[in-house]
Amino acid sequence: MSQDSADHTYESDRVTNTPPDSSGRRVLLLMASQTYRAGAFLEAATRLNMPVAVGSEQDQPLAHLNPAGHLVVDFHDLEGATDKIVQFAQDYPFDAIVSTDDDGVVLAAMASDALGMPHNPLLAVLSARDKYQTRQALTAAGMRSPEYQRFSVDDNPQQAAAQVSYPCVVKPLALAASRGVMRADNPEQFVVAFERLVSILSGIEHGDGTQVGDQILVEGFIPGDEVAVEGLLMAGELQVLAIFDKPDPLDGPFFEETIYVTPSRHPTQVQDEIVDATRQAVAALGLTEGPIHAEMRVNDQGVWILELAPRSIGGYCSRALRFGADAALEELILQQALGGPLGSTEPASPASGVMMIPIPEAGILCEVRGVESAREVPGIDEIRLTLPVGQAVVPLPEGSQYLGFIFSRAENPERAEAALRRAHQSLTFVILPPDEAATHQPGQTAVDVLEASTHNGPD
Amino acid sequence: MIEITDVAQEKLLEMLNGREEDIVGMQIAIKGKGPTGFEHSMQFVLAGEEPENVVVTEAGKLRIFVDKGSVDDLSGATINFIPATGGFDIENPNSPFDWDDPLAQQVQEVLTSQINPSVAQHGGWVTLLEVKDDVAYIELGGGCVGCGMVDVTLKQGVEVAIIETVPSITSVVDTTDHASGSNPYYQQSKDDPHNQPAKGGQAPASPFAN
Repeated sequence: MSQDSADHTYESDRVTNTPPDSSGRRVLLLMASQTYRAGAFLEAATRLNMPVAVGSEQDQPLAHLNPAGHLVVDFHDLEGATDKIVQFAQDYPFDAIVSTDDDGVVLAAMASDALGMPHNPLLAVLSARDKYQTRQALTAAGMRSPEYQRFSVDDNPQQAAAQVSYPCVVKPLALAASRGVMRADNPEQFVVAFERLVSILSGIEHGDGTQVGDQILVEGFIPGDEVAVEGLLMAGELQVLAIFDKPDPLDGPFFEETIYVTPSRHPTQVQDEIVDATRQAVAALGLTEGPIHAEMRVNDQGVWILELAPRSIGGYCSRALRFGADAALEELILQQALGGPLGSTEPASPASGVMMIPIPEAGILCEVRGVESAREVPGIDEIRLTLPVGQAVVPLPEGSQYLGFIFSRAENPERAEAALRRAHQSLTFVILPPDEAATHQPGQTAVDVLEASTHNGPD
Repeated sequence: MIEITDVAQEKLLEMLNGREEDIVGMQIAIKGKGPTGFEHSMQFVLAGEEPENVVVTEAGKLRIFVDKGSVDDLSGATINFIPATGGFDIENPNSPFDWDDPLAQQVQEVLTSQINPSVAQHGGWVTLLEVKDDVAYIELGGGCVGCGMVDVTLKQGVEVAIIETVPSITSVVDTTDHASGSNPYYQQSKDDPHNQPAKGGQAPASPFAN
């Protein structure tokens, strides 16, 4: 949809008091209220001087001050939400829809289709969001694929154990961040993993009626190095923006992702195979537009696609990617959404990395020590702690959070990785059982703190 | 400089009686700005652990250690004890919202009249720290801290309102440490398979639920 007139001024244009982007076009960002990605996309829009609206499932407290910038949509009511977006486009025109992460990709495809905006086909997005359908599409396209089977959470785990080959990986169909993913080397381990995943899934609401929480995918375990690809699709053409190595072994029993480093240290020929496999997977799924994030394994037999999602890398990890004159990944995504042209896609630094700080044990996060020392490690760009002291933390496979993120930049990937490890070693996370946490008082020297209310000025 | 009412002195001395520690006084400081004014801290001081950079005064039978940086903002404050609530109340005649800079006054008016009433309904508030070189530096408090959607509130709400109303302001900078951790809304809500960020799990839940 095109804007009615080039000189139209949206309320949100006035955010920076600078002239709007010469195109005057804007983007609707779909984001769930629990996203980590809001800041990165909004900051990117600010840098591009690109007006945006935010569609989220919760009403925002200041929406009344900027009605053109806010929309409430229910990601689980796809038809209803699409109708709301179409109506919103009539009231406050925009030119493209971008989902900041998994939650909104299906709705973005549906609404874009309704509005005639370039986007991925709905069926392609639905396939990419479901690990079983992804596996089917890749297999049908003749790509390397492990044995795979789908089970119901109601299936008998002992009987299922007899139907699979070992070693295998038990995983949910739609959870992310390796949550619920477990390796089993024999039937006994399989039954334990199966029942544990059923327990994890039983605590998950069924938001839109799909059966993603009721089913379990079992795949043959693929040995090898794991890598990730970040790319942008434009009219079906893939532009690879980065290949990340994951230098920590991911052999199970859980698959906790920690370090991503780019550029890849794999030989050029292997990197070419990685890119080729990503292109084949994109084509197999039918994706055509926008960001993609692919995860795969590389071994002597070649490249094995694990999953390919129609969205950018999640969490705060995108901060490890900077392009040209320090442009963010999200800037490229927004530029692509509006049809380009893209800014520079050359890396801003020779190498960079991110470490998702894993949760070592369950308990209450009581104290974090060594942050300043970690920040002083050469090559460390930023340390971002994301869980507050006092919060209960749960490791994989049940948990879905990290303690924070460490970012590095260096002259080569070896140093980028080494900086991450040194910084992580400088950090100490004090995690205690709840009963001990209640009495833990880090750095408290006063006898006690008196509760005092505040009364400013006379009545 | 600071007064302690007789009732408050009596209550504090009562609290001190019977304690084994050698308490030599009480430290008072401005710890921040809240939605209605300054936020204060009060804590007992142990012998041998007297704080530095303080002004020491006597208030009745109590020694009061006032942070040097808080002296002006606490001038004329009165500490009272409210039996009905069982807590202490600091009546401070000073306001953090009185600005000499006309631009800061305008930004403060936007926060007071347009933004904070709405944000307060969701347990948060926005405080102006200073205006410098046409940039408004703010801090978010309460439920805003650590909220996954705080950037939306900031960019799509606070910035828009301030810049629209005070055109001289060129940008708004959030200085909040969102990992500081006191956000009561940080706890995860019930899991939903369609509500899972791909890396790093869930961001803090929004306090701005309907």
